[in-house]
Amino acid sequence: MKLQLTVDRVLILVLCIAAWQFCSMQWGLHWFSSPLKTTNRTIELLGNGDLLYHTAYTAKAALYGFLVGGIPGLLLPFALRRSPVVNAILDPYLAAGYGVPKLALAPLFVLWFGIDLEPKVALVASLVSFLVFFSTMAGVQAVNGQYVNMARVAGASERDIARHIVWPGAIPYAFAGFRIAAPYSIGGAVVGELISSNRGLGYMIQAGATDFDTTTVFVSLFTLTIIVVIINWLVANLERWLLRWRPRTGAGASWVPGA
Amino acid sequence: MTALAKTLPGRRSHARVWIPVGRIVLAIAFFALWEFGSYTMGREWLPTPEATAARIWKLATSGQLARDTLVTFSEATLGMIIGASLGSALPFVLRLSPRLMKALEPFLSAAFGVPKLALAPLFILWLGIGMPTKVVFVASIVFFLMFYNGMAGVLSVDPRLVAMARVAGAKEWIISREIVWNTTMPFLFSGLKIGLPRALSGAVVGEFIAADAGLGWYINNSRSLNDITGVMAGVVVVTILVILVNAALQRTQARKLAWRPVARDMVV
Amino acid sequence: MNATATPTLEVRGLSKRFPPRSGQAEAPWILADLSFAVAQNELLTMVGPSGAGKTTLLNIICQVDAATGGEVQFEGQTMRLGNGTLNPGWDCRFGYVTQDDNLLPWRTLIDNVTFPLRVQGKLNDQTMARVTELMKTVNLVGFERYYPHELSGGMRKRASLIRTLAYDPPIILMDEPFGAVDAQTRTQLQQDLLRLWNLGRKTIIFVTHDIGEAIALGDRVLVLSRSPAKVVAEHRINIKRPRDLSNVYKLEGFGDMYETVRKELL
Repeated sequence: MKLQLTVDRVLILVLCIAAWQFCSMQWGLHWFSSPLKTTNRTIELLGNGDLLYHTAYTAKAALYGFLVGGIPGLLLPFALRRSPVVNAILDPYLAAGYGVPKLALAPLFVLWFGIDLEPKVALVASLVSFLVFFSTMAGVQAVNGQYVNMARVAGASERDIARHIVWPGAIPYAFAGFRIAAPYSIGGAVVGELISSNRGLGYMIQAGATDFDTTTVFVSLFTLTIIVVIINWLVANLERWLLRWRPRTGAGASWVPGA
Repeated sequence: MTALAKTLPGRRSHARVWIPVGRIVLAIAFFALWEFGSYTMGREWLPTPEATAARIWKLATSGQLARDTLVTFSEATLGMIIGASLGSALPFVLRLSPRLMKALEPFLSAAFGVPKLALAPLFILWLGIGMPTKVVFVASIVFFLMFYNGMAGVLSVDPRLVAMARVAGAKEWIISREIVWNTTMPFLFSGLKIGLPRALSGAVVGEFIAADAGLGWYINNSRSLNDITGVMAGVVVVTILVILVNAALQRTQARKLAWRPVARDMVV
Repeated sequence: MNATATPTLEVRGLSKRFPPRSGQAEAPWILADLSFAVAQNELLTMVGPSGAGKTTLLNIICQVDAATGGEVQFEGQTMRLGNGTLNPGWDCRFGYVTQDDNLLPWRTLIDNVTFPLRVQGKLNDQTMARVTELMKTVNLVGFERYYPHELSGGMRKRASLIRTLAYDPPIILMDEPFGAVDAQTRTQLQQDLLRLWNLGRKTIIFVTHDIGEAIALGDRVLVLSRSPAKVVAEHRINIKRPRDLSNVYKLEGFGDMYETVRKELL
């Protein structure tokens, strides 16, 4: 069974590469590059350190942005939980803020912060913060009232309740937010670089496209894909480890795409 | 008053009065802060609310606002139609071959994570900076969104209902139409609701990279001219547009889903 | 069983096991060499402990699942299971009332009840009249336009029951259909079943883990063993019909039969 699956997947991969080669031969290296050229260029760029340099830049922007946006987004719901009135006051503004397309703010950030790391971090942070906030908020609001009552009867303080009941209960929801936010942070960093940058994978894509250097564009795209796959894998495993106590739900619950 | 406000326990009369008051105070504080920031940090860095409003007014009266909005909207709508039709249809087809679905899983998972905007320069290379590029770009965003939602719906089909229908004599086509479609529909609706605002912002962002018209083009063009007021004006217009679209979609959702026990939003 | 009448359904040497899990060398047998026969228009009840594989057995008979070995013969047609494609419902000759009501949540009650008829292209004035008659018998008149989530558990069960009866299949399988409702509703539903069965006799195989229910309803009771299931005993119920379900438990012989079956289930 497993063998068939692996064979199927290898088959699909081979088909894709073959199709690529076909397009390349049919319409010219100019438009499509080729599997061979791209592989060679990848090795070349890995060798001279360029690929790693640019990848690290993008990854750095994504990571900083993720932390700067994710941590407040994670903690705020717990603070707001203490004061339902403040929560209600902020509610429509936060919802409106969520509706604002953050990527559209990219030029604004560039004007404000320059073309180095800062605007990308700002962009990613703005994206991630809302995602993580709303996911965690849903978790905090979904806390089982009966557990809270039980804890109160048993003598727990508000602090205890927050730590032992609300927090573990909200973590699965928070992670759902992380799972979506992780690829978004890479995406945000790349968008920032596409608009204005002289470093990073997004820069490589943009520069390559401007120079009609399709090969570099493909190399960067594939590197990007691999990074995203790795990040998704990391987050999924972290979640699985942290949430060992959860019973598995049935149906087809195995889709982890980042949308 | 939002639903959230209504759920507040006890101390009712106090809390309920404070909430709208608090919101108004917050709004005023926001504008005051904006104004203050503009004065302290300089108009070239942060235009005043009045300057921004004046620019929007100027754009509206000159007709440029209407032109650019139309361009962006057309790109979004066209891309949405293409992306949504393909993205919604594919799960129904894939469903017929579980083997193919399993095999494709990691590839689709990887494809999902790639920021579609990273593909934009490639599209520009292939298609130029005209409308087709943005449409393809928006379509790619919407396609993945609807495909993900469609798959979630198709995978959630209750096999017992399918078995029941088979025993009752239903052929495969009827099972698809009756059971798979009805189970998947709420997921697709949810996807469309998220999809339209995303299509709009996608069109705007696509225009940052490649365009000569549209709201996104205006924003980025202003940036390259260091025209902060223009940038601000553009951003405000886009924000208002997206919020309006969101609000409009929020209202149209409830009707078709009356059969569901709780009209809960599928957070997909 | 009447030796001269040919049984309408015969199960011979049925066995079933699922594919082994990872790490298992071999999966356990759920059914092992199970055989029995049903006469036409007989109400056969089967009693077995929970988890004995009763649902699996019915799934196989109905061709919703495939057997690992053995065969099922119905009205002269033999289905040798384990190879070949399945024909769920045997071209609509079998009805199957499952444990879960399996009503389509997005359809109204009346649409659900007429679903098989519509799908088989048999919905017309005549069949519609039959449906109305059935609705009256189980007291569902007036609720036609309601959605399943707006109905009580008992009402959904009734709907599921008459959905199958509406298209009049010659043989009906029932899998603990009244298990998930409260005791009073259950007695009511049992009464409804007997009344409906009286209106038009058909062959019914009724599976339950409730000994009392099996004896009260059936013409014959089969006792199944624990997994791997096989038939360990068979009893003819000699209580005259029509049976009054509120009093049947007090009848002579009921208590003894109950005890006998209970011991056989241990």
